[in-house]
Amino acid sequence: MKLEINDITKTFGEKKVLKGITLCAESGTALGILGRNGAGKTTTLRILMNVFPADSGTICLEGEKIDYERIRIGYLPEERGLYPKKTIIEQLVYFARLKGMGRQEAVKAADQWLEHLEMGAFRNKRLDTLSKGNQQKIQLITAVIHDPQMIILDEPFSGLDPVNAALLKDVVREEVDRGKIVLFSSHQMGYIEEFCDRIAILNGGEMVLKGRVEEIKKMYPRDRLLIRSLQETDIAKAYPSACEHAQQGLIFHLEQPSCKREMMAQLTDEFDIDEISVLEPSLSDIFVEYTRDRI
Amino acid sequence: MKQFLTILGFELKSYFKNKIFVGVTAFLVVLLGGVMFFPSLMELMGEDTEENSADHAVMLVEASAVSETAAEMLEQYFSSVFSGYQIEMIDGSEDEIREQVISGEADCAFVLNSLTDYTYYVDDLSMYDTNTDVADEILKQVYQAEVFMESGMDQAETEALMSVSVTSQVNTLGKDQNNTFFYTYIMTIALYMVILLYGQMVSTAVATEKSSRAMELLITSAKPTSMMFGKVIAASLAGLFQMTVVFGSAILFYFANRAYWKDNAIVTSIFDMPVQLLLYMLIFFVLGFLIYAFLYGAIGSTASKVEDINTSTLPLTILSLLAFMIAIFGVSGGETDSLLIKICSFIPFTSPMVMFARIAMSSVPVYEIVIAIAILIFFVWGIGRLSAKIYRVGVLLYGTPPKPGAIIRAVKNG
Repeated sequence: MKLEINDITKTFGEKKVLKGITLCAESGTALGILGRNGAGKTTTLRILMNVFPADSGTICLEGEKIDYERIRIGYLPEERGLYPKKTIIEQLVYFARLKGMGRQEAVKAADQWLEHLEMGAFRNKRLDTLSKGNQQKIQLITAVIHDPQMIILDEPFSGLDPVNAALLKDVVREEVDRGKIVLFSSHQMGYIEEFCDRIAILNGGEMVLKGRVEEIKKMYPRDRLLIRSLQETDIAKAYPSACEHAQQGLIFHLEQPSCKREMMAQLTDEFDIDEISVLEPSLSDIFVEYTRDRI
Repeated sequence: MKQFLTILGFELKSYFKNKIFVGVTAFLVVLLGGVMFFPSLMELMGEDTEENSADHAVMLVEASAVSETAAEMLEQYFSSVFSGYQIEMIDGSEDEIREQVISGEADCAFVLNSLTDYTYYVDDLSMYDTNTDVADEILKQVYQAEVFMESGMDQAETEALMSVSVTSQVNTLGKDQNNTFFYTYIMTIALYMVILLYGQMVSTAVATEKSSRAMELLITSAKPTSMMFGKVIAASLAGLFQMTVVFGSAILFYFANRAYWKDNAIVTSIFDMPVQLLLYMLIFFVLGFLIYAFLYGAIGSTASKVEDINTSTLPLTILSLLAFMIAIFGVSGGETDSLLIKICSFIPFTSPMVMFARIAMSSVPVYEIVIAIAILIFFVWGIGRLSAKIYRVGVLLYGTPPKPGAIIRAVKNG
C-alpha cells in the first residue's frame, strides 16, 4: 500500500500554513516528519486524518483518492488525554467502536492489547488511578486497537520513561513488521533515525528535504574523520587547524574527501589509534542545517 | 449512523452513571412524595392542625358603643363570617382587652366606637390578615341596615334587602385561565430549568473533553456531526427521562392521595392538565431543548477551559432567560394574545416557552401551532449543522476563547 500526499496547501485566515507539501510512504516502512514548532507537521497530519480539508492538493492511496470510509487510521496525538473518570475498558471499547468495530470484537481486542502491554490488572480501573506511564500505554492502545492500516504517531516518545519508551519501540516495530504505514512526527532525532527509513523535513510550511536517511547522509561530503585514541591531544597539537574536540572523540577535517585513505594511513602510522572512521552527519546536524533559518 | 449511536449510548451511560444526576432525580421524587403524602401521613399520626388551631382562636368584640340591635346583628355576622374564630362579645375597657390580646387569651379584638369607627387589636399582624377588610364590610352592612330600619323598614324587610344575591353563570368558550395558570407556570419553569441545566451540562461536557485533550482523539475518530448530535440528543433524552420520572411520580403520588387533595383547587388544577397539553409540552421541550443545547455545545467547543464556560455561555443564558420572562409575564398578566407574545411565539429561541404558554392559556389556531413547530424544526436542523461546523473548528482552537468573528471566518474557511 502506498500513500501519496501531493502538493497540499492550507491557509488559516491570512496565514499560509502549508505551501505545497508532497510526501510518500509505503506499507512496512516508517516515515519521519520533522520540523520546528509551527512548521506545519500537525496541520499536515490533521489534513491526512480528514480533520479538515486541504485548500488544494490530493491525498492518494494506491493511486486513488483516499476513501476515509475504508481506510483505518490510528492516531497517537502529541497532547495526550482520555476520559479520566471512565474505566480503561469502557474507553478503549468506545474508541474502538467509533473506529467501526463491533462491541464483542472491541472488547476482545482491548483485552488482548491490555494483556500484551501487561495492563490486564487495570482493566476495570479508572484512568485517573493509573500512573502517567500507564496512562500513556492506554493512549497507545487507542491508536492501534482497531488494527489500523496507517498509524500516525505525533511525538510518541515525549514524556516516556526508558522502560515505556522501549515498550513503545517494540510495538512500533511490530506494527511496521506487520506491513503498516507508520508516520512519525518527532523532535527526538535518535528515535527517528532508529525507526524511519525515510524522512521529510518541513520548515515554514514548505518541504525543505525528503528522502531515504542513508541517501541524504551520502549527499554530504565525506570530509571528516572521527578518531578515538589515547593520543588525541598529541594529534590535535600536530594538526591544530584540522582538529576539533567533540564528545564522541576527535574530529579531523580533511582538505579533500579524496585524501581520506592517505590521511587515515598517515595518522595510524604516526599515532596509536584505537578507532578511525569517516564521520557521517547526524540527523540532528541535518535538521539544524535545514531549519536554522525559519522560512 | 453507527458512530452516532455509539456516541449516544456512551453519553447516555455517562448521565445514568453520574451520581449527581441520579441523586437529584431521586431527591426530587422523594421530595414530591413527601409533599403529596403529607396529608395522609398527618391523618395517620392523628393530627388535625386546622381544627386545633380553630379551637383556640378567640376574637373579642367590644360593641357597647352601638345599639343593642346592631350588636346582635354584629355577633350574628361575625360568627358566620369568621368561622375560624370563637367570637366573644364583651364589655370591658380598652386596657383589659389589650392585656388579653398580649397575654394570648384572645387572638385579636375589635373595639367599636361606632358602626363606622373601630380599633383592631392584634399581637403580631400577619401579612395575610384580612380581618379588618372583612370587618369593614360587615360594619357597612350593619350600619346600612340600621339606617334602613330607622327610616321605617322592619327588620325582615331590611334583612331581605341586605341579603339579596345575584346569580350568574360563566360559560368559558376557550380556556379558563384560572384552571390553566398553575400548570402553565410550572411547565414553563420546568422547561426553562431543563434548558439551562442540561445546556450547561452539554457545554461543560464538550469543554471537559477539550481541556482533557480527549478531543484530539475524538475529532480524528468520529465525524463532528455525529459527535454534536450524539451528545445533544443524549442530553435531551436524559432530561426527558428525568422530567418523566419526576412528573410521572408526582402524578402517581397525586392519584394515590387524590382524596386528600380534592379540595385544593391549585393542586387539582395542576394535575387535571389535559393530555393534549402534555403532548405539546413534549414537542416544545424536545425542540426547544435541542435548539439551545446545540448552541451550548458549539460554545463549549470554543472554550479552552471549563472555567470559561460561564462567561462564554452568558449571551445564551440571557436569551433563554428573556424567553422565560416573556412567557412568564404573558402567563401572569393573562395577556397571552398580545402582539409581543404572538410574535415571540414564532421566534425559534422564544417560541418553545411562549407558544407553549399561549397554547395552555388561550385558544391558539392550529395553523399557528403548526407554523411555530415547523419553524422550530427547520431551525433545529440548521443550528444543529452550524453547531457541528463550529464544533469542528472550535475544538481545535486553544488559548483565549475566540471572538464570534474569528469563529465565523474559521467556519467559512472549513
